[in-house]
Amino acid sequence: MSNILRTSDLSKRFQKTVVLDHLNMIVPEHSVYGLVGPNGAGKTTTIKILMNARQPTEGMAEVFGRDSRKLSPEDFTQIGYVSENQQMPEWMTVEYFMNYLKPFYPDWDVVRAQELVRLFELPPDRKIRNLSHGMRMKAALASSLAYRPRLIVLDEPFTGLDALVRDELIEGVLECAEGATILISSHDLSEIESFASHIGYLDRGRLQFSEEMTSLVDRFREIEITLANPSPSPISWPAAWLNTEQSAALVRFVDTQFDQERTIAEVHRLFGNTHQISVNPMPLRAIFVTLAKAGRKAA
Amino acid sequence: MRQALHIFKKDVRHLWFEIAVVITVVVAFAFTGARRALWLVDPATNRTAAWTLVLILLPLAWWTLIARVIHDEALPGDSQFWITRPYSWKSLLGAKALFILTFVNIPVWLADGVIVRAYGLPLGAEMPGLLWSQVLMAIVFILPIAALSALTTGFVQLVFAILTPCVIALGLAIVAPEVVLGGFLGGLDWVKTYYLFLVISVAASAILVWQYAMRRTAAGRSLALAAGILAVLGMTLIPWSVAFRIQSWFSKQRLDQSLVHVDFDSRNRWLTRAVIERGDRVRIELPLDIAGLPPGIIAKPEGFSVHLQGPDGTVWQANQLLAGKMGQRFSLEAAVDGAFYRKIKDEPLKVRGSLYMTLFGNRRTVRVPFLDRSVLVPRVGVCSATGGVHRQSYFLICSSAFRFPPVLVSYSFIPSAKEAVQDVWSSTEPRRPISYSPFPAEPGISPVSQDFTFSTVRVPLSEARVDTLEPLAHIRRNFEIDNLRLGDFEVRPAPVSP
Repeated sequence: MSNILRTSDLSKRFQKTVVLDHLNMIVPEHSVYGLVGPNGAGKTTTIKILMNARQPTEGMAEVFGRDSRKLSPEDFTQIGYVSENQQMPEWMTVEYFMNYLKPFYPDWDVVRAQELVRLFELPPDRKIRNLSHGMRMKAALASSLAYRPRLIVLDEPFTGLDALVRDELIEGVLECAEGATILISSHDLSEIESFASHIGYLDRGRLQFSEEMTSLVDRFREIEITLANPSPSPISWPAAWLNTEQSAALVRFVDTQFDQERTIAEVHRLFGNTHQISVNPMPLRAIFVTLAKAGRKAA
Repeated sequence: MRQALHIFKKDVRHLWFEIAVVITVVVAFAFTGARRALWLVDPATNRTAAWTLVLILLPLAWWTLIARVIHDEALPGDSQFWITRPYSWKSLLGAKALFILTFVNIPVWLADGVIVRAYGLPLGAEMPGLLWSQVLMAIVFILPIAALSALTTGFVQLVFAILTPCVIALGLAIVAPEVVLGGFLGGLDWVKTYYLFLVISVAASAILVWQYAMRRTAAGRSLALAAGILAVLGMTLIPWSVAFRIQSWFSKQRLDQSLVHVDFDSRNRWLTRAVIERGDRVRIELPLDIAGLPPGIIAKPEGFSVHLQGPDGTVWQANQLLAGKMGQRFSLEAAVDGAFYRKIKDEPLKVRGSLYMTLFGNRRTVRVPFLDRSVLVPRVGVCSATGGVHRQSYFLICSSAFRFPPVLVSYSFIPSAKEAVQDVWSSTEPRRPISYSPFPAEPGISPVSQDFTFSTVRVPLSEARVDTLEPLAHIRRNFEIDNLRLGDFEVRPAPVSP
């Protein structure tokens, strides 16, 4: 699997504010990569640098193996980009907008474009300025899927949308993006956990981790230990254990590198005999809450 | 090219209203401009208010259209839909240039042609001016606003970007006018103007290409600021002697001026003065004689530099532009410091200097009868003369296309009766300052400039005449005066009686 997007030590500063701090991220081809993180983590900045809408302060971003600062019009014929705060040509009707964009793309599929307009229930003769936020996002998405882009970049596409519109958009993307690589950013994990194949967690400009969804879910476990005898807290907790809590004979933590044998051995090393060890898999949301809390605590 | 046309069509569709406004104003411009040509015959056609209104509305309509078309794909920012679409910057810039050419340049070019023709000026002969006026229009009216639009996201930002330097320039013009405008260089002033044009065209073109190719707005804005500073500095600091050198380089020297020389006018030595003035200043006056001029050639001193040196090596230098009259004799005037004067006044002084002058010749006279019809006057344009009510007032009006005539023009009215005075009104001095610009057009919206004179002397007149003198060479001649004792020529002002 080759890499469609890649950043190497990518940094961005706005005067003294560090927005991206030596970001190294790889998005494999054909993946659905969810870039998540709290507001202000640097997701939009990363995407804007990848799309050559902003310049990096240091480091490099590559799209299709090419420096993003040198993306050509030909490269953009293979990229579909939709952003929540994109400025659209307000005066155009939906139909004119689609027709206007058609000559820019050699692979524009007229039938598919019409299907997308129908699928998203877009009113063709309505001006973009008169569309609701959800409709505008649909129009932007329809115009970005009609040419079967190799790469689809969605920056917070679901912000401010109701659940129904969000589901329609997700359906639309998944139906029409067969074989494409998708990079989707969101501050709300639940928006993307159902269909992301890879996940990257960005916090304060740093990528905390980036991996396949399945391995992420496999390595996070919530552990609860009932000790045989109350014992004092260890002087130092293992680095992979987050949100550690201990009260008398009860110990709770999240193991971020869970391995049945190694984790249990570590518990016995630190606490001696235990009465009970309960290991619970974590939903994605809980994993991110844990990470966010740990990040804030570290900060 | 296909993409550029596609974007162009989109812009036409979007901005049809603004285009309609511009075309309407241009049609009004052509109509009122052409009608004004008839005002000598029919004064009712001279609708000054309408013409003034059109001259104000036209640039406003152009600027609005230019800003709107560029802001349609605004360049600063990172959220515009088009920046992540397969736009080629060359196509986008080409589309905008095509749009401006189609709806700004071509309509006004045609309107200029209509107006020039209405004045009876020959279109073929005026073609260089017609074309050059479009170049100037691009530099003055299009490029600056296009560049500023490329650095702004919308109308509010643009207005702010225009007003800020205007307010600064206005403030400077009030506090220190020479900083903004520099000194007026007379016929050489076009050098400063074209310096400004050069800065504008280079900076604005660079900003446009840079912004369309790179969209690095901060750098573009820095370039605009640097260009503004460079323009003000140049306008302030270009000395007239440099302007004169540039003028000499540009002008064809169509005259053998090898024998022309400048000397101290020893026959009029008594005209030498050292006038003690207030504020511890002394005005030195030195009569100079311009000799060796070919027949029919008149010299006009444009400026001088002079270097006074006492026996002990004390030096005073002066460098001055002149607005003097034409003639073979010339009195150089320079103010020196009182302390310097007192030190050297009784010493034999060595004077070294250079006189910069323009040589005029090729005098031509064209007769203009009072026939309510235009007469072609070479290098001027067309002139027409008419008698007023009861033949008591006589008018002469000359129209020139795209610039004031590049020659010295003087007018005279000739009486019909032989016993009357020879020239009722005449002048060998030009009616207005000449510009030595070698270019066939001057900046401005109106394609025709007019000069107007009249006679109210109660004698019947037979005709009017237009005399022209052509600048043939711009030369510099050095002169030297030795052993000049200024104290011998000292003049003290008479004491003011209480």
